[in-house]
Amino acid sequence: MKSLAELDKLREEIQREMALREKKEGIKVVVSMGTCGIAAGARDVIAVLLEEISRRNLQDVVLTQTGCAGLCHCEPLVQVEGPGGEKVTYGHVDEQKAREIVAAHLVNGQVIKEWTVKEEGERV
Amino acid sequence: MEELSWHIMDIARNSLEAGATYLKIVVDEHTADNQLRFMVQDNGPGMPDYVQKRLLDPFFTTKTGKKVGLGLPLLQAAVERCGGSLEIWSRPGTGTRVTAVFPYFCWDRPPLGDIPRTLTGLLAGQESLHLYYRQTYDGREFIFDTAEVRAYLQGLPLVTPGVLVWLNQYLGEGINSLYGGGRNEIARRAG
Repeated sequence: MKSLAELDKLREEIQREMALREKKEGIKVVVSMGTCGIAAGARDVIAVLLEEISRRNLQDVVLTQTGCAGLCHCEPLVQVEGPGGEKVTYGHVDEQKAREIVAAHLVNGQVIKEWTVKEEGERV
Repeated sequence: MEELSWHIMDIARNSLEAGATYLKIVVDEHTADNQLRFMVQDNGPGMPDYVQKRLLDPFFTTKTGKKVGLGLPLLQAAVERCGGSLEIWSRPGTGTRVTAVFPYFCWDRPPLGDIPRTLTGLLAGQESLHLYYRQTYDGREFIFDTAEVRAYLQGLPLVTPGVLVWLNQYLGEGINSLYGGGRNEIARRAG
């Protein structure tokens, strides 16, 4: 069983990795966590995003969360904000889609257009 | 909501959106007393009277950009389905505490669900959050405190994805050990 004392080793590993890697311009990933998002499964989307970002060691990615974005019918929503401030919002994200968004968008910079939703308009 | 831990997350998100920096979450399971109780307490700004009066009104919200506030009404409905109880205490300037009690053995009670993902999900991106979690199961106890974790991390942000993924496994093992190593309820139910 794990003990918190093992965090010492983990911390050293992560800090060693961080020292080796060059810090690039950041990408911000925002998951909507209002009641609507949670009820649609956003918690497991966050969990998968954390796993993938950690596994691929993407140090220039910041994962954060926000409340209801007014697009409740498209939840779970994941917004990716690039270093230049350009925003892309993905709707109806599930665990599988979340993994693919990390691989295509965060790693390779390819927007998966068919999963995106319009940010403005159709507000509830 | 499929899991009680989704309700816990939802209430805790309300706390964070209201500006809380400290969250205390407690889950007590007493099978002998046929009781499952959870509590979410924060150090947020508290709620004024006019808000407290309308907490269970699904068409009331303090948030802009939407017209419904379903979080607490959904929890109230879940509690009522099982004959449990819901208590909401709040004082402006002090904080808010939500306590829900369910019968442990009840066909209509959602399972507790994935607490580790709920806690690490709440922590994601919230570096300034102090989270204290305590769970008991028939007298056995598990405690998780981010203050203790941060002492080990020595300045490395707790929100580092690698740290949160590790904590998710740590929480899973710790909570699992409460049940004697194996979960005794189905994590998801159909429908």
